[in-house]
Amino acid sequence: MSTERISLDDKALWRSLATDQPVAPVAVSDMDFAAWLEGALPEAEAARIDAAVTADPALRQAALDLADILGKPLPAAPARMAVRAQALVGAVERPVRKGWLASLLPDFGQGLGLQRGALAATAVVVAAVGFMMGGGISKQYQEAVYASSQSSSSTEIRPLGRDTTGELTDLFSDAT
Amino acid sequence: MTELSQIDLRSLATGHKRTWDAFVTAASPLINAVVRRALSTYRLSEDDVMDAAQDVFVRLCANDFRLLKTYDPTRAALSTWLAVVSRSAAVDFARRRRQATAPIDEVPEAALAVEDRHVEKLKIPDGLLTERQTLILKCLYDEERDVAEVAQLLKIDAQTVRSTHHKALLRLREHFKGEPP
Repeated sequence: MSTERISLDDKALWRSLATDQPVAPVAVSDMDFAAWLEGALPEAEAARIDAAVTADPALRQAALDLADILGKPLPAAPARMAVRAQALVGAVERPVRKGWLASLLPDFGQGLGLQRGALAATAVVVAAVGFMMGGGISKQYQEAVYASSQSSSSTEIRPLGRDTTGELTDLFSDAT
Repeated sequence: MTELSQIDLRSLATGHKRTWDAFVTAASPLINAVVRRALSTYRLSEDDVMDAAQDVFVRLCANDFRLLKTYDPTRAALSTWLAVVSRSAAVDFARRRRQATAPIDEVPEAALAVEDRHVEKLKIPDGLLTERQTLILKCLYDEERDVAEVAQLLKIDAQTVRSTHHKALLRLREHFKGEPP
């Protein structure tokens, strides 16, 4: 009997043995499994994963598939896959803290209302400063015009008319 | 194009938009390949494949990038870890959708064999084979993989696979030499 068994080929020998004994499933984390796939685990730790992969046909299939994929050049992914995935973070990006001055500037990532408000506030400030500067210049300008009119009144030749007649009347009435 | 290994993980985990976009561009081919392979035994449409891939990306950035923050660069490459995560997510996705089906030609012979319940199989005693020896025999005989595939899986030489296989069989033969069939 024993001679016959020994004469069996390797595969038949293996098939004749009870190799699928029920074993309690061992939890393997993604990180441990990845490290095992890279052959980066110490012997004792690798043996634990070896046992889990041996006992679980699904985990074994996963290991074989992943080793195959990681060992080959990868085909390009459909463009829409990346477009959809990239949109995930644009929508949930966290606001970045900014200084008070920077916060006044338009921020295209925080909505149109805030942007418009900041622009309106900026416009009001610019207008107020401009008004104040404009008023100062106007006063100086009036003073300059007044001084100019005072110095030139003695030499001014005014045309004869109602005003001149009135002045003569006043002169004669004062004299009387 | 940015490689996965060049991605700034700290920036990625803070949700920086440009880093995320670069990560997605670099990771898409791998996630696409893993998801397609994982779903190949399920009758799912192209849209399902897209949704499963999107599910992987959602998992990575959900809850303030909690899953991504569990990655430890000192233990494995980002691509390897990402492949593992992608496969898990794809299998979960498929289970939520449909039952697995596989063409009969692709199923290993051992999986289709009808076991004769009257044959008492011999149990391999604990400790007779190492975990590594058992795994190699399972891959070669139960999964019907060739030596090169097993070597690639275990990151060892093909010669080491043959040697380990040979030693395991010697132990089995030696142990069961006097056993009845």
